[in-house]
Amino acid sequence: MREYLLPKKDYRVLFVIGKGGVGKTTTSASIAVALAEKRYKTLIVSLDPAHNLGDVFMTKLGDRPKKLAENLYASELDMEKLIKGYLEHLEKNLKHTYRYLTVINLDKYFEVLRYSPGIEEYATLEAIRDILMKGDEWDVIVFDTPPTGLTLRVLALPKISLIWADKLIDVRRKILEKRAAIANIQGPLKFKAGEEEAELPTEESRDEVMNELKKYRSEVQFVDGVITDPEKTSVVAVMNPEALPLYETIRARDTLKKFRVPFRLIVVNKVINVSGEIPELKVKLDAQKKVLEQIKGEFRGVEVLKIPMFAEEPRGMEWLKRLGGMIVGD
Amino acid sequence: MPRRILESIQDFLKGIEQSFREQSTEYVEFELRELENVFALLLMGSFVGLPSPPTTLTMRLLPHMARELYVMQRRAEDMDDILGELAGLFDIT
Repeated sequence: MREYLLPKKDYRVLFVIGKGGVGKTTTSASIAVALAEKRYKTLIVSLDPAHNLGDVFMTKLGDRPKKLAENLYASELDMEKLIKGYLEHLEKNLKHTYRYLTVINLDKYFEVLRYSPGIEEYATLEAIRDILMKGDEWDVIVFDTPPTGLTLRVLALPKISLIWADKLIDVRRKILEKRAAIANIQGPLKFKAGEEEAELPTEESRDEVMNELKKYRSEVQFVDGVITDPEKTSVVAVMNPEALPLYETIRARDTLKKFRVPFRLIVVNKVINVSGEIPELKVKLDAQKKVLEQIKGEFRGVEVLKIPMFAEEPRGMEWLKRLGGMIVGD
Repeated sequence: MPRRILESIQDFLKGIEQSFREQSTEYVEFELRELENVFALLLMGSFVGLPSPPTTLTMRLLPHMARELYVMQRRAEDMDDILGELAGLFDIT
């Protein structure tokens, strides 16, 4: 059995990444089925906005984990709904807090945030964080991800967010120090906004902004801690034996290395095996051979597993069990 | 009458004390306003084309940032006279 796919410390998180159309969903579903068969309580979550996890399991899935078999649960997160709900909640919250502030045209601020770049990545990260926070409910959590680009940006976010949080904490600390210095001489600092007057906090523990910043930092640190821990997280890349998926996998490997996310396995899916010569397939087979050789030279320290092209589309539990067994190992 | 004079002298001294206090914190207050402005701009960078921190963080902090938003907006309005403010601060006439 491939140890890096099994739970070691509390639970195991598996990210199945790859270019669109290479068989990510089938691979992640097979891994989940095989692990559930081995009695690990497994949750598979699709983060891809273009869901087809339900198609692979031939059932309808929703936001909440649905039990598909003994130890096997699946869900499809509706990212658009998540973003919409998230923004609506926030808008309500903000308008409530700022009801007295007529000096600030809040709608204008909010419109910019609503369309700010990267909101999808942040919403995906929030969804991952929510699931990881309740990670102890599962033995294994398999994430079927959107195409590589978006996934890599999401996996890079915790590190980037930590840098931002630290910088902002520094600036905030300086603000509080200056406020305290002024308050020592002039007495408590007041700030009047609209009708209401408030005292400006000078201590870290009383400053809501600082508290929120520290809370955010610890949440991001938690996600970063999980996804960079080799005993908790493994990334599995799926590719076809073709040049473009190979280049994308190389890029993914480099990015993951930079952000210290453990990359453990490459599943080369749909490898064509033929006996004898078929002239119509010669070009395709030559290209495949070349790519397989390149993989061997390129990825040292990462296990490479070849899955043959099957005569029929691997759908339904029986197929998934068989395929999953090949990936997880006995 | 003498009591009135005493009160006036007291007020005068208080005024001087207040003025000294204000003068002593003038520079720090200016620095504080600048820092508050920078802090708000860092979070709202997308308004002026600066790279923004995680949007989630901006949204989470926004409800607590009335003061910083106010300073940022005032700063933007007074932008044309920033040299004037600096000149006033350093007594350059």
